[in-house]
Amino acid sequence: MKPPTEVLTGAAPGVGTAWSLGLWNCACCGLVSQARPLDGATPRCPRCLFALHARKPDSLQRTWAYLAAAVLLYLPANLLPVMTTASVLGQFEHTILGGIVELWHAGSWELAVVVFIASIAVPLLKMAALALLACTAQRGSTWRQLERARLYRLLETVGHWSMLDVFVVVSLVGMVQFGAFASVQPASGLLAFGAVVIATMLASSSFDARLLWPASASAAQAAPSWRLRQRNRRRATLPRTPVHE
Amino acid sequence: MTLPVPLQRWFWRLGWTTGPAQRREAVATFPALVVCEDCDLVHARQTLLPGDVARCSRCGALLGRGHRLGPQGLLALSVAALLVFLMGNLTDIVTVGLGGKHVEATLPEAIAQTWHSGQQAVALLAGATALGFPLAVILLRLWVLVPLALGRRSAAFLPAMRALHGVTRWSMVEVFLLGTLVAIVRSAGLASVVPGVGIFSYAALTVLLAANHAAGLHGLWQHAEDCRA
Repeated sequence: MKPPTEVLTGAAPGVGTAWSLGLWNCACCGLVSQARPLDGATPRCPRCLFALHARKPDSLQRTWAYLAAAVLLYLPANLLPVMTTASVLGQFEHTILGGIVELWHAGSWELAVVVFIASIAVPLLKMAALALLACTAQRGSTWRQLERARLYRLLETVGHWSMLDVFVVVSLVGMVQFGAFASVQPASGLLAFGAVVIATMLASSSFDARLLWPASASAAQAAPSWRLRQRNRRRATLPRTPVHE
Repeated sequence: MTLPVPLQRWFWRLGWTTGPAQRREAVATFPALVVCEDCDLVHARQTLLPGDVARCSRCGALLGRGHRLGPQGLLALSVAALLVFLMGNLTDIVTVGLGGKHVEATLPEAIAQTWHSGQQAVALLAGATALGFPLAVILLRLWVLVPLALGRRSAAFLPAMRALHGVTRWSMVEVFLLGTLVAIVRSAGLASVVPGVGIFSYAALTVLLAANHAAGLHGLWQHAEDCRA
């Protein structure tokens, strides 16, 4: 995708988007520039030489791919045990949900809530929210743009907190090493859980928030709303009433 | 002659590519404009007073902050972060006692233990996000800031800044800190757990890295421009 190529000097601020004015915004250093690369070369920021893109390349495809990976990995992450504890009483396997229940019964319900939010609620809500954002961006929707932009920023801020459970287990493994009396070992579910977090982080970083603000007219023509498409489909399949002369 | 695309990508990352100016392309820069990264709207750049926050008028995304700290102040933060990072990794995070036996656990030991118990990938993941990337952030900041505080641009300034741009989001010191606190509570029923110097160092590191992160990178580019001029 390339922005319009006409060179515009003296752009008035606050009147349009970088795309509509033919400007490049460097994702690395934030310099605004206007370059016309020779014979199809990738335009580069004159200050930091970072490749310039009007939109993140293949944004939606990458987001969907990472999201699918995260959803698939979410099952083993929650079904397989994340750690095994061994003591004189025997060997126990713990899943993520089981760990939260243990914390609750141990009396520290505040921590149980924190861990529940970080390891169950955040990944689930994040995947749902990313699917919503990608879906609406794909249709060029203008529905609740400000709220969706805020949702995206929230995802970027809270995303990495889901790594909490990985660090809990690693710390426990380092702390509880008393041979036959008590020991903690990581188990295979932990890797799946870490992979879910990484996949959702990659999904949200490859999503381009600028797709939430389509240039209204052209986007509306390109992608009619869901309601409109349903109505068109219904009309197309309705039996035609015979016309009497 | 054009190079194959993967090779070109590596060259860009290493900063070896020739810029548009060297290739005699028509380039215009607009230092007086800021473009919102989230919604692409163009704004006029304004000088911000310390404590001011500039937000996009359409989507509310952060455009910039006014800072109290120059390169010298940021350098001080980074040096402090390096010292605290070393302390946090060399001293024990907790001391665990069970039946008269005491075990002191440090973060590198915990990661090594995870590695040896057969979960190498998890050990790599935790090691990278709690040790590797934070250390990379601190060292790259020092690499850039020491010459900048002396009024020069460092060698390999562009690759260092671009690496910094990519690495920052993967440093998860604050999550590690909270994770260790949860682990302490969970093992408190089983054994006696005493927090060590390491965990307090990591708490300080969290604060220092957050301060570093809040300062952002765009200000450094501005300082580097001033240095060259």
